[in-house]
Amino acid sequence: MSRVLVLVPFALDDEGLANREAQLSDAGVSSDVFYDFRPVKAGPASFQSPHDWMLLDVAILEAGLGAEGDGYDGVVIDTASDSGVDALRSVLDVPVIGAGRASLLFALTLGRSFGVLAQWGPALARMRKSLDDWGLAAACAGVEHFDTEPDFAGLIGDKRDEILPKMEAACVRLVDGGADVICLGSTTMHEAHGYLSERLPVPVVNPGPLSYKLMEVLLSAGLSHSRQAYPRPLVPKEEMIHAMLDAAAAES
Amino acid sequence: MIRAAKRVLVVVPFPMTPEQLSKRAEQKDEVDLPASIELHYRSTRAAPSNYVSAHDYVLADLTLLEAGMRAEEEGYDAVCIDTVSDSGVSALRSMLSIPVVAPGKTMFMTALMLGRSFGVLSMWERWFGLYERTLRELGMEERCAGMRSIDTQPDSRDLFEGKEEEVLPRLHQAAVQLIEEDGADVICLGSTTMHQAHGYLQERLSVPVLNPGPLSYLTADAMLALGLTHSRTAYPAPLVPKPEMISAMLAAAAEAEGTS
Repeated sequence: MSRVLVLVPFALDDEGLANREAQLSDAGVSSDVFYDFRPVKAGPASFQSPHDWMLLDVAILEAGLGAEGDGYDGVVIDTASDSGVDALRSVLDVPVIGAGRASLLFALTLGRSFGVLAQWGPALARMRKSLDDWGLAAACAGVEHFDTEPDFAGLIGDKRDEILPKMEAACVRLVDGGADVICLGSTTMHEAHGYLSERLPVPVVNPGPLSYKLMEVLLSAGLSHSRQAYPRPLVPKEEMIHAMLDAAAAES
Repeated sequence: MIRAAKRVLVVVPFPMTPEQLSKRAEQKDEVDLPASIELHYRSTRAAPSNYVSAHDYVLADLTLLEAGMRAEEEGYDAVCIDTVSDSGVSALRSMLSIPVVAPGKTMFMTALMLGRSFGVLSMWERWFGLYERTLRELGMEERCAGMRSIDTQPDSRDLFEGKEEEVLPRLHQAAVQLIEEDGADVICLGSTTMHQAHGYLQERLSVPVLNPGPLSYLTADAMLALGLTHSRTAYPAPLVPKPEMISAMLAAAAEAEGTS
């Protein structure tokens, strides 16, 4: 039995965490892998600004720093922003996967281009940054949003009738714009995956569940990230990082 | 009418003694700094030990953000970051309306005003990841003719002190290779900590040598004079700024590190 730590990027309560854990049922995960969901101790209130992105990098790094010592065999980051992934890879030998880059690269095994479904206008800045950072802008047929403020704990919930048709319309615009594959731009959209897959003529990639399956592939193949690409710090500052997040949690 | 000088905060990315901070401040003497700005140096309260890993980059972003995030309410007119890594710049821009100058981006853009390509001259190879990150963000990887280092771990606080005779000729040799073998039209110094080499290299090389720290001060002055600052579209403000939380984190970091 392998143990995988899933880091949830908001300090959610049990109900909010359960909504995140529901992604497991979409993924058909292996019974040989146990997934343990853990929220960060503190973090930003939203995710639309470099201020927020940076806080989340630190919060996720702190939440996962000790994963190897805690006996986990892999770490999955439950956000398509891949926040904290690079920093965690620099301090861990076990595989670390973010849902974002992995889902876009995977989409390119299914088609020549992908379109990204974003939540709302304020999410576009981060999406553009990610596409640039990952060198994938040329493969992106477009980014469309459905103009709905995200609910990071409740997700879509009982607003299905209102939200799902707007998501579908945005996906249709992406397909009309040349997208071979639709990538959901956030793990918080996972509840829409079934609805959209049934109605759209192209594959719809659900980043959270995909990331679990890719983790299982890595574990099965004995693969992890390259140390050449993610060099270790000369002086790790584990205690300092924990102290900072304890202070942040006390403040928030 | 004589205008009062604009106040520019220069954030130095490591906790420092006053003497060490003064070595950083010597950069301002290497250019003809206009009287329209005055520079105020401030070090961060904590820091990673080096800038060689994603672990370090994250800590650098946070510590620089904390040191500069109140610059506007403190009455500063602009902020410069004393590191070519541009650490913390994006987050600071998201919280501040005054100009925040990124020395790395500024240097590479300036190099392309002076030549078709540039080469990055660095102290050690482990800094190359920082340059690659900025070049990727700018989409300018192809304009970089090469990166070379002298494979020497730098001293972020005491800089070249006592090592000039050993270090400077090797930097010169690497710069010559960038120009003659790699085709660099312009030499970019890969760190603001290399500023003490600028005069030596510029005297001996046939191409422009960019000194990123002083260049950033001059850019701040130009932006202030032109009434320019960063685009809010590119650097959206947070819905809920968390300055108290960030300060508490750095107070805890300084305590943990014994730098408080």
